[in-house]
Amino acid sequence: MPEQKETLEYDVLVVGGGIAGGESALNLANIGYKVLLLEKELTIGGKMILLSKVFPTLDCAACITTPKVSEISRHPNITIFTSTVAKKINKIAEHRFEAVILKKPRYVNVPDCTGCQLCEEACPVSVTDQYQYGLVGRKAAYIPFSIASPRAAAIDIDNCTLCGACERACPTKCIDFTQTEEEYLVKVKSVVVATGFNLFDPLKIPRYGFGKFKNVITSMQMERQLAPTRPFNTILRPGDGKMPDNIAYVLCTGSRDKTVGNPICSQICCMYSIKQAQLLMGALPMADITIYYLHIRAFGKGFNEFYAQAQDMGVEFVKGKVGKITENEDGNLILRYEDIESGVVKEAEHDMVVLSVGVLPNMEISETFENKNLELDPFNFVGQPDILASPAKTSIEGVFVAGTASGPMDIPDSILSGGAASAETTSYLRRASL
Amino acid sequence: MEAEKGKTHKYLRERRPVPKEVTEQLKVFTKTKKSILNALKEGDKTIPQLSEVLNMPKEEVMFQLMSLLKYGFVETGEIDDMDEYFYYKVKDNGKDKS
Repeated sequence: MPEQKETLEYDVLVVGGGIAGGESALNLANIGYKVLLLEKELTIGGKMILLSKVFPTLDCAACITTPKVSEISRHPNITIFTSTVAKKINKIAEHRFEAVILKKPRYVNVPDCTGCQLCEEACPVSVTDQYQYGLVGRKAAYIPFSIASPRAAAIDIDNCTLCGACERACPTKCIDFTQTEEEYLVKVKSVVVATGFNLFDPLKIPRYGFGKFKNVITSMQMERQLAPTRPFNTILRPGDGKMPDNIAYVLCTGSRDKTVGNPICSQICCMYSIKQAQLLMGALPMADITIYYLHIRAFGKGFNEFYAQAQDMGVEFVKGKVGKITENEDGNLILRYEDIESGVVKEAEHDMVVLSVGVLPNMEISETFENKNLELDPFNFVGQPDILASPAKTSIEGVFVAGTASGPMDIPDSILSGGAASAETTSYLRRASL
Repeated sequence: MEAEKGKTHKYLRERRPVPKEVTEQLKVFTKTKKSILNALKEGDKTIPQLSEVLNMPKEEVMFQLMSLLKYGFVETGEIDDMDEYFYYKVKDNGKDKS
């Protein structure tokens, strides 16, 4: 049984500490509202903090995220709970919500941790690093990544041998294995849902060989390889450490595909693949990059110019649907695809394949609402009943949605959406005092 | 029982037995680490070379070697003549005391 803690009171509960939830929390806090920000991971910053650069400006993602994340972390009106999920949320009356939240133990007393990483050095265990999407190992006592916030250690208790090496190494004695799960009752006046999205799992398309062929990776794994906090010293094939020189991208992996249950466009894959292609040409000047696409959807501001820039740089675009990927003995991959322009089935060899995985809804949050129904749209994203007039409104008055929880979108749109959610939340809260 | 600060792992060990897989996993890693470092002490090697010497799949060598690089046991050397595979070597100030 989790330990029952005291009741907490805030003006707004923001569920999800990614860029959209963070933006909402920051705006609300700046107006003067007290905000409780929940994050299920060990660090806030969501998926954006893990990215290399952003399209179409090629600005460094970490350089945009980290100042914002520090501002959120230091804001006197924002309380952040990491490793915490909302278990239930009930609407008692207008401007009265009650939530039960569950905080998992980190086994580290965060304020005392200096982030010195001596525990990490001392820990003998090595397991797969989820923050590097499985490309490399990490210790059981670890800091998620160097720009994590809070930049504090955590113990992966499921893989810990309880040897005590970390505790002996810790200069501030901040490691505490007596921590337990804590449950809090939270009373708030309004809720912002910013629970983001899940990435498509390409294991669901076995003909692409992901998991079996080690040189078939996801776009998020490539993103990590290109990021400043990358796992390797350069771009390498996970299958054998070879520096690739002929990389293929397979667009629409898990998007616009009824066979995997996701018929819609993920809106970001064309552009992030074009971005990665440009970054790869910088990192591996001799490499050939081919993008297999159905349609290039370069719909945003500056997107088409960015696409043209990639073409000018020599990225090859092939309008083709990839049917199957097979592996050669040397680890190279054969892509069998339909060349849509000529209508002919062709084969091409590449030494590394990146699957541009799509955006899937994160549905868990709708089950959290107990006495009211948080309606989802036909694709299981949070429904927006008044999408034109009040895009942040949900089926529950006083609950607002921010970012990709409502559907696939890019970073600027997520931040805009976070802003919209904070504005509509403010307007709802002000009505309480009228 | 009040747990002594700095020795709280003992407190939890009494309440939460360590699963067998976890200790097994640690043994495998320690063994692999030793064999990779020993092989590299005999000379710088690429991942395919290590794979051959250790009779271990290349992807496995890649994962473990990159982890050892991250932990500071190994460093990257020159790239081979074909510009394909890097050589890896034991870090001079190696923290490996084994």
